[in-house]
This record gives sequence, structure tokens and C-alpha cells, in this order.
Amino acid sequence: MATPYETLGVKKDASQKEIQSAYRKLAKKYHPDLNPGDSAAEQKFKSVSAAYAILEDVEKRAKFDRGEIDENGVEQDARSYYRDYSQGGDAASRYRNSGGFADFGDADDLFSSFFSGARGRRQQTARGDDLQFKLEISLLDAANGGPKTVTLPGGSPLELRIPPGVRDGQVLRLRGKGGPGFNGGPDGDTLIEIQVLPDKQFVRDGDNVRVEIPISVREAVLGGKIEVPTLSGAVSVTVRANTSSGRILRLSGKGFPNRHGGHGDLFVTLKIVLPTTPDPQLEEFMKGWEAGRNFNPRRA
Amino acid sequence: MNDIEFCRILEIETATLNIWVEERWIIPVGADGTSSYGDADVARGRLILDLVRTMGVNEAGVDVVVDLVDQLHTLREQMRLVMDAIRQQDVTVQRSLRKALDGR
Repeated sequence: MATPYETLGVKKDASQKEIQSAYRKLAKKYHPDLNPGDSAAEQKFKSVSAAYAILEDVEKRAKFDRGEIDENGVEQDARSYYRDYSQGGDAASRYRNSGGFADFGDADDLFSSFFSGARGRRQQTARGDDLQFKLEISLLDAANGGPKTVTLPGGSPLELRIPPGVRDGQVLRLRGKGGPGFNGGPDGDTLIEIQVLPDKQFVRDGDNVRVEIPISVREAVLGGKIEVPTLSGAVSVTVRANTSSGRILRLSGKGFPNRHGGHGDLFVTLKIVLPTTPDPQLEEFMKGWEAGRNFNPRRA
Repeated sequence: MNDIEFCRILEIETATLNIWVEERWIIPVGADGTSSYGDADVARGRLILDLVRTMGVNEAGVDVVVDLVDQLHTLREQMRLVMDAIRQQDVTVQRSLRKALDGR
């Protein structure tokens, strides 16, 4: 019987790399599934694999060289190959592929349907490709959702319904709107990744939203009603008399839609803004305002 | 067998199986979620592992090999049917076919 070295066709002092490369070459040549009609291939592949099982392992190779194990030293598991299942049966129809010889005979040839794999057998079908796009939307559109028409790179318009509360990076799947299926297979999907653009006014903080609203000195001192923009339109909010800059009002349920069907909150930070041009009357008042002299908020 | 049993037999990750199924190298019976695999699929899986691990074939190469292997088996099956059909013909028909194949 041939030694593993002879089986792989390498010298006794071959390096592990040479052994691997010799084995790869022979495996490619003798793999039973690449030689479906050659019954000798299986035996050759088996002895090549057995030889490699000894020589690939440096310890086993040394044992063999010392004569501690023989060429049958490593028992190979019995295995079956795909070729054993490829004829007839259910696998044959699932993996049927008539692509290579659909040109045997003209369409009106008596045998053309035989070679193109008709005869009631299942044809190889494939699902169409998925198409992927990115879509930038404003924070307001993300919060409120609604229909949007986008133009695909191919030029065709696509009607899209954006779900309220869509997140940045969320992928919308439009079933059957992708590439066409092959041979009667289903069409692929169109996948649209949503990118929510930052808003100039609103800042998202999880499900909550923050907004900064300027108020006048008069509103801060005397209080009053002001209009505050929210994601779903302006609302009227009462500013209490004697309000400091930085006070935060919480508008419950006016934030971003959350995953559970509810909404986060809107936090409105009030910021006192003085008139753009200095006002002599206001300056006069401040000079005469006695209590103002003694109030130091940094020492309060 | 299901996805998990299939992966255990071949000692592969489910992510690997997902790629195989996506590439249609393996076509399980049944729809998503209820996929089932047979011995033929295991043998096919071993062929893919041999290609990748033993022969150093990359993903694109496996795609080509699997496609050609399937074409080859389909062709062999049809060739076998043709031969069966010829054997059922009258001896004179068989002889004239043989002559035609010999180019005479």
C-alpha cells in the first residue's frame, strides 16, 4: 500500500505548505461531486483525504515517520456525497438547472421542451433583487409621517407612506417593489433607509424634544400668553409673571411619537431677550429701580 | 431537520447557513421560519465546505461551481433519459442512431 507521501505525491521532507498545496490540487481533481460519473474518484478522494489527515497534523506525521501508526492511522468517517442524491428524488427537482443547454434544439424542435426542462417539472425560479435607497426627511416629517412621493434613480416615482415617529436609520420595506423575479419568481423588495435631518429649532432627546423660545422682558416680568411651536403645530402657553431666563416648561405628550403609540414630552426653555436697540426709557427705569440695586442673583 | 439541526451536523454558524440559503446554494423545503432540510442538503453543504475549506474557493467561486454542478447533474439526468429512450427503440433505429453519432 502506498505511503501518505506517495499518495499525495510529495517528498518525505516536504514542508506543511507543500503538503497542503498537493492535497488541494488532488482534492479538486478527485472530489466525487466534481466527478459525478467516475466511481473511482470516490476511492481516490478517500485515500487522498486519509493521507492528508495524517500529514497535515505535525504530531501524527511524526508518529507515522517513527512507524507508530500506519497509513490507515486516521480513520475516515463514511460520508455520502451530493452526487448520491442528485438523480431523481426531491433534491433533483429543487436544484434542477437547465441553464447550460436550453439551446438544444429550436423552439419548434420536437425535443426542445425536453432539454429546456419543461415536461411539467418545476422550473428554477428566483426572487428578484432587493433595491436599496436612502431617503432624507425633516424631523417634522419623521414625527408626523404621511405620504411622500420619491423619485427612484431609474426615474420612476414611488408613493411612500412614512409611519409617524420613524427613527433615523430605520429601514422601510416595500414588498414586491424591487427588481423583477426570474422565471415567475416573486419580485424583490425596495428597502428605504430613513435619514432624519437635524432641525434648526427642535432637538430630539430620545422620545422627548427640546426647543428654546425667546420671551421679552415685559413677558418675563408681567407674564402672559405666548405661542410655542410644537411638532404638531403652535400651541398657546402661559408664562407666569416674574419668570427667569432658563425656566423650562414641560408640555406633556407634545414630544416625539414613541414605539408604544404614545408621545414623549416637549421641554420649552424660555430665554429672555432684550430689545435689539438700547431703550432710554428702560435704562431710566433701571437707574431708578431701587430694589434692583440690592438684588444679586449670584449671591441668592 | 430544521436550521439548527442542519447547522449542528455541519458544524457551521446559522449566519453561514443564512448566506447559503440567500445565495440559493441550499434551497430548503418550506417557507421562511419552517425551513426543512434533508440528507441531500447535508451532502451539498459538505461539498460547499470542501470547496471553501479544502480547495480554497472563494464565495464567487462557490457560486460558479454550484451552478455548474447543478447543470451537470441535470444534464446527466436528461442524458440518462435519452439513453433509456433509445434502448426502448427497435434495434434498427438504435443502429441508425449509432451510425449518425459515428458520423457515418
